[in-house]
Amino acid sequence: MTTPSPTPIIQIENLHKHYGETAALNGVSLNVYPGEVVLIIGPSGSGKSTLLRCINRLETFQAGSVCVDDIPLTTAENINAIRTEVGMVFQSFNLFPHLTVLENVTIAQKVVRKRSPEEAEEIGRALLAKVGIPEKENDYPGQLSGGQQQRVAIARALAMNPKIMLFDEPTSALDPEMIQEVLDVMLQLAKEGMTMVVVSHEMGFARAAADRAVLMDEGLIVEEAVPDVLFSNPTQDRTKAFLSKIL
Amino acid sequence: MQIRKELEKVPGFEVANHQIDSWWWLVAAVVAIVALLAGLEPDPYWRIIKFVSDGLLVTVGVTITAFILTLVLGLLTALGRLSNNGFVRWFTTIYVEVARGVPLLVQLLFWYFAFPSIIQALGRLISYEPFEHYLANPFVMAILGLTFCYSAYMSEIYRAGIQSVPKGQNEAARSLGMTHNQSMRYVILPQAFRTVLPPVGNEFISLLKDSSLVSVVSVADITRRGREFMAASFLPVETWMMIALIYLIMTLISARVVAWIERKTQTEAR
Repeated sequence: MTTPSPTPIIQIENLHKHYGETAALNGVSLNVYPGEVVLIIGPSGSGKSTLLRCINRLETFQAGSVCVDDIPLTTAENINAIRTEVGMVFQSFNLFPHLTVLENVTIAQKVVRKRSPEEAEEIGRALLAKVGIPEKENDYPGQLSGGQQQRVAIARALAMNPKIMLFDEPTSALDPEMIQEVLDVMLQLAKEGMTMVVVSHEMGFARAAADRAVLMDEGLIVEEAVPDVLFSNPTQDRTKAFLSKIL
Repeated sequence: MQIRKELEKVPGFEVANHQIDSWWWLVAAVVAIVALLAGLEPDPYWRIIKFVSDGLLVTVGVTITAFILTLVLGLLTALGRLSNNGFVRWFTTIYVEVARGVPLLVQLLFWYFAFPSIIQALGRLISYEPFEHYLANPFVMAILGLTFCYSAYMSEIYRAGIQSVPKGQNEAARSLGMTHNQSMRYVILPQAFRTVLPPVGNEFISLLKDSSLVSVVSVADITRRGREFMAASFLPVETWMMIALIYLIMTLISARVVAWIERKTQTEAR
């Protein structure tokens, strides 16, 4: 764990988002500092995934501001610039099924980062080794287990050299025996000092790697604290109610 | 590939595969009937084949040219209908509705007879010499008419294919910093093409058959040549039976080729 430096790498201010009449975010403010691992928990529909998706503008929002690495999310150029800085891992992996594992990891390097195929493949192979599946590079995603697919998805995001990694319930779609292999990769990343925002209810991961846990409910941040403190001594009733259901 | 190998061990899979291939027998049977007729009764059957053979080339040429143009224009139209630009979306939607709402025969007649008159009138209005003496080339107008109509249908097939790709695919591509166009090109369209291949193949077969309509706008395709032969020989039964068999051979072969491509891409997708 690193000590947060004074300038936040993600600045979210008073974010409001609604789908028609339904409010998803009701004024959320959150700062994330370089090297920090922030865990977002909360009941379903509390807006945690929406908040995460606002950071790289997969969701639009109606009011408030998001600044990543001092770039405000305003113009299309800025949004693309931010997306190259921010890697994202999805609940349902979203690997490209028509491409091999290695191609999945190299395509954006070649197209967005304009790396040569040789360079992209070298980086891709190194990352596949890092996530522990170097032998699968010529397989298609459909031939891999869920845990392997999610590790490829992590490698794919890392190949862009992001400064920040967003994880949207990365283990929720996995069979129980595959969860640990994905968490191990995430723990390794956290140890290396990657800035991470993780939507997850994996308490083991939270205790081992998270610097801060944030509880959201009804589009608001209810409480935030160091994971151990939040889990053992919650101050808010809503936090207590939620934790009693999942612990 | 591995999955296919596994599947081939299943007895039922072999049988299914065999059945698909056995359809080639139908093609062979039709070809044999034509060969038999032409061989045993050269007059009139072989004469008919010789007489319409140049029309056969026209039919194939018109069909393939219009089909290639349709693949391109259909894709552009589909992208237009999915565009973020409101005007482009509106314009392409109007086009699709018009092209699908007017019978193909009427469209062909319009392009061949009405369109040149409009150009000529426009030329007189603005005193532009080349327009005033504009004459339609039947080939060009026939291909234009087929392309105009079929691209509208093709765009709907493409659109369905693009929309069948899960939303998460685009999100993953965009989250990696790809632009909308890059995501389309490298992620969405390659997956959509696989989905649309069977219906696109069927469009080719429909286009091949509907190309017979160009015979009414002075294009000497196989149908028009058949009419000419009948008028000269007074042999309607022999003539139209032969023409029908020739069309049948072409459509059956096309259907087999489409099925073959389909199977090939599906196994490669594994």
